[in-house]
Amino acid sequence: MSGTPPVGALPVASGRRSAAVLWRTAAAHPADLARALSTTVLSSAGTVALPLLLGRAVDVVRAGEGLTPLVVQLSVVALLTALTTALARRDAERLGAAVAADLRERVVDRSLRMSPRVLERAGSGDVASRVTEDVELFTASVQLGAGVLTALVTVLLSAVGFLSLDWRLALAFCVVFPVYAASLRWYLPKAGPLYAAERSVAADRSQVVLQSLHGAATVHAYGMADLQGDRVEAASLRTVGASRAALRTFARFSMSMNGAEAVGLSALLLTGFLLVRGDVVTVGAVTAAALLFHRLFGPLGTLLLSFDEVSRAAAALNRLVGVVDLPAEPAPDPAVLARAPRARVGLVVRGLTHAYDETPGAAPVLHEVDLEVPAGTSLAVVGESGAGKTTLAAIVGGVFPATAGTVTLTGPAGAVDLGALDAGAVRERIGVVAQESHVFTGTLREDLTLARPGATDAQVRAALAVVGAQDWVAALPGGLDTRVGPGELPLSPARAQQLALARLVLRDPPVVVLDEATAEAGSAGARDLEQAAVAVVRGRTALVVAHRLSQAAACDRIAVMAAGRVVELGPHEDLLALGGRYARLWATWSRSALPT
Amino acid sequence: MSPRPVLDVLRRHRRAAALGCGSSMLHQTCEALVPVAIGLAVDRAVATGDVHAVVLSVAGVLLLFAVLSSAGTFAFWVIDRAEFAEAHHLRTAVARAVLRDPAALGDRQVGDALSVATSDTRHAAEALGLVSFLASGCFGLLVAAVVLLRIDVALGLGLLVAVPLLVLGLQALAPRLEARVHDRQRTAGLAAAVAADLLAGLRPLRGFGGVPEAVRRYHRASSLSRRAAVGAAGATSVVVGVSTLATGAVLVATAAVAGTFVARGRLDVGEFVTVVGMASFLADPVRTISHCVQQLAVSRAGARRVAELLRPGAPRRPLEDSPSPAHVPVPVPTVPGEVLGVVTTDTATADAVTAAFAAVPGALVEPSHTVLLGQTLADALASGPVPAGRGVPLAAALEAAAAPTDLDLALHDGGTNVSGGQRQRIGLARALAADRELLVLRDPTTALDAVTEDRVAAGLRDLRAGAGTTVLVTSSPLLLSRCDRVVLLGPGGRHATGTHAGLLDDPDYAAAVAR
Repeated sequence: MSGTPPVGALPVASGRRSAAVLWRTAAAHPADLARALSTTVLSSAGTVALPLLLGRAVDVVRAGEGLTPLVVQLSVVALLTALTTALARRDAERLGAAVAADLRERVVDRSLRMSPRVLERAGSGDVASRVTEDVELFTASVQLGAGVLTALVTVLLSAVGFLSLDWRLALAFCVVFPVYAASLRWYLPKAGPLYAAERSVAADRSQVVLQSLHGAATVHAYGMADLQGDRVEAASLRTVGASRAALRTFARFSMSMNGAEAVGLSALLLTGFLLVRGDVVTVGAVTAAALLFHRLFGPLGTLLLSFDEVSRAAAALNRLVGVVDLPAEPAPDPAVLARAPRARVGLVVRGLTHAYDETPGAAPVLHEVDLEVPAGTSLAVVGESGAGKTTLAAIVGGVFPATAGTVTLTGPAGAVDLGALDAGAVRERIGVVAQESHVFTGTLREDLTLARPGATDAQVRAALAVVGAQDWVAALPGGLDTRVGPGELPLSPARAQQLALARLVLRDPPVVVLDEATAEAGSAGARDLEQAAVAVVRGRTALVVAHRLSQAAACDRIAVMAAGRVVELGPHEDLLALGGRYARLWATWSRSALPT
Repeated sequence: MSPRPVLDVLRRHRRAAALGCGSSMLHQTCEALVPVAIGLAVDRAVATGDVHAVVLSVAGVLLLFAVLSSAGTFAFWVIDRAEFAEAHHLRTAVARAVLRDPAALGDRQVGDALSVATSDTRHAAEALGLVSFLASGCFGLLVAAVVLLRIDVALGLGLLVAVPLLVLGLQALAPRLEARVHDRQRTAGLAAAVAADLLAGLRPLRGFGGVPEAVRRYHRASSLSRRAAVGAAGATSVVVGVSTLATGAVLVATAAVAGTFVARGRLDVGEFVTVVGMASFLADPVRTISHCVQQLAVSRAGARRVAELLRPGAPRRPLEDSPSPAHVPVPVPTVPGEVLGVVTTDTATADAVTAAFAAVPGALVEPSHTVLLGQTLADALASGPVPAGRGVPLAAALEAAAAPTDLDLALHDGGTNVSGGQRQRIGLARALAADRELLVLRDPTTALDAVTEDRVAAGLRDLRAGAGTTVLVTSSPLLLSRCDRVVLLGPGGRHATGTHAGLLDDPDYAAAVAR
């Protein structure tokens, strides 16, 4: 998406900082780095030496001398150039592959472990685009980088080559640089926004096309093919306009490159002419200069044309380094960790207040919530949409910290504030299944063992049995080897939720937080899920956001929330007898559904 | 659509293809003449010290580059413009074809169809440039041949045979390289997919504490990708090395032979420079030709896939969630204007009933999986012209469905930024606003909490009263209790009709609607 970055977006590193990180990452492979640099220099030297020797051949034949020694030299240089060029290519790409792998692993590592506060503020979209698009862009630029490195070294060494012929020829060659600089100065500021606009409209177009394909059934049902077709056409037409605008600018830029070549060649010929007339250099030297310049068209073109791509890769790198540089989560105090209960864990919530909007005076979503869930008991949270149930569950589950108030884990050995533990320690104690479910791509076994690496098939099957999923899994053609996830075998939302619950069973934390795990499952699916949830809750300390009141009734106690506060609290029967909010909810929900 | 889709593309852009071909040929000719110009300038001006000649040489070089640059840029501009236009034309045609008849997708997954609509249309359009550059590459080769043969027949023939042979020989290495490069792209893609998958599931992943294992899995995928990149680097280096060696060998051999000829007086110095320059230039058009030939195969394959999707009467398969044109009569007759509840004891029957209603002319069946189209709520609610004499104000539809009312609300990726419940309510509002005589809704409130569901049930009832017939295929007691009539399609084809309250005594019914 285009536009200004949202408040709280992830940081972007400066170019200087990125260069430093890139260099340090490369320097971590000193042997590769040294080899890549030395072979590149040697291969470029060979590329420059060939036309110089050819120029000397002109002098030799004009003088009527024997060519043999020169042909031998030429052959040796050609052979060595071929060898070093091959090695340079290999070494540079190897180094690039190592650097790219190091960087992307660090980026993914940091992203997955990012502090919840940063993640929630930045939004998962920004993180995802860095981990996917930017990483891919940077990884793919390795080959480009190897080519640019070679071209750069060749151009630099050519200057030395021209100097070896005559300093005035070198000066004549340098005429091209102001021309290139001027055209880049004209082009780059225009190109950036044009390509950005092109990419942005192209992304919108893909979006519209993808929506149309996904929604083909909907479009057909409504008979709105023309309307949606017009939308696709309009989005596609916008990309044509943007591409043409970018094309016009690029065409002018490429003409100026030819201009620089013409100017450079003319300057070399004129200078050479004068120098030969003054008997300062030989005809061969001028020939060498002209041939060398002719051979430079390629590398110079590579440098200029890749300028844009290189700057795009650099921008991606800045965004990657921005993630790499995020502060790591501090390790918890070992004394606190030792005190943190592992079994028979209870929950105590005190004065929990939370506002998503951090400007002072913004209406909080939670107001001074106090709750207790003794070890091994379950508490249901019910209330209308917007009452703060999900926020409460997320904070108690350690998904993100509250604006104010505490969540304490209690145990026989003592109590520990949730905020004093790191993510790893929290997840050993509390498992969360929230509304968002995701089927991880891979085999069903891989999907489930994410929660417990190394679990045996028997353990996996047992977990599936607890959530009532053993039958349909056994009926799959590949059993646990069936590939699931987006683009593979599609699973209904209810089955996806069953898998989420099965992961929790495998993980086996003493505390579970379940939030609306039954939404979107359909009635029959919802009943199965409800039973699965009951099985998961059994024997654990649980906080359950109940979407369906039958689920609430199955819990030991129920907290009714309204406008961010707990307004009723107690067992099902007590609350019904109270005749308050819960009793009304129950009446609405069960209106004649259950013959009593 | 003719069986030769690439020809169709060319035919549609005859003028652009001709202009592009012509100017690109001119450009190639100028490129071939650059070494000639250098040779002439060295021989006639630099070596002689003739001021008149040097002025002429420089003017000639400037003129040559002016023509070269203009022709090249013009060719590039004309061809790319035509390619953009053609890609747009094909893309729009593909999208319209699929939208008019979802069955046009055939057996394709959405991902496949997307790649037809985006990359295949682009590849098909690229035929324009490929054909033009193929022609100009051949022409450049021809110009080089004429220049070389005029200088020296033996040397010219030698080069004209040796260079194409070497270039084509190098192509023989390509499959090995391609396999490695493919491997590199594939593993990089896999690693990216692993990362994207983990990120997409980051909240659930963190919820069950799967992060350490996820990091391990990504590192595995990343190092596989790195190993493949190193393998590809090895293969690339062999190809690069061999081709550098080949060009070097041609250059050295040409220099040796041409130098000997100069010594014997068979060539002058200018011709020596031209021949040596030509020896390195020749590889360019040959490479262009072989690249174009290879890419044309890709382009042709793309054009064929596009043509298949556009061809009417291709083998068809109904979409899973699209109404199939089943000829089964509607199993439940409706009374005009009523709100009818249909309860089934299994999903297959519910699917069949929904499909049967979809075949009724003029019926609107809101697909059970809500897909929102467009960038804003206003877009998502627009579903084309409302039949004459009908129409529900958007505000009323949104109110009835308890949907968000800010029409500027941005919907990203088909509404993934709003909750499932909101998506469902927006879909419902869209169906209500479309205001059809017969509206069929399948499980329209599964993602709603009881209070909201009750509100929606009441709103739905009020809005549809007097507007037309409404069929609710559902098991929600809150919806069913507001129906005029409820039909139970029980096991073994048993039907029962009544009201929600009345049917509760039926054990099958009670089980079906129990929560």
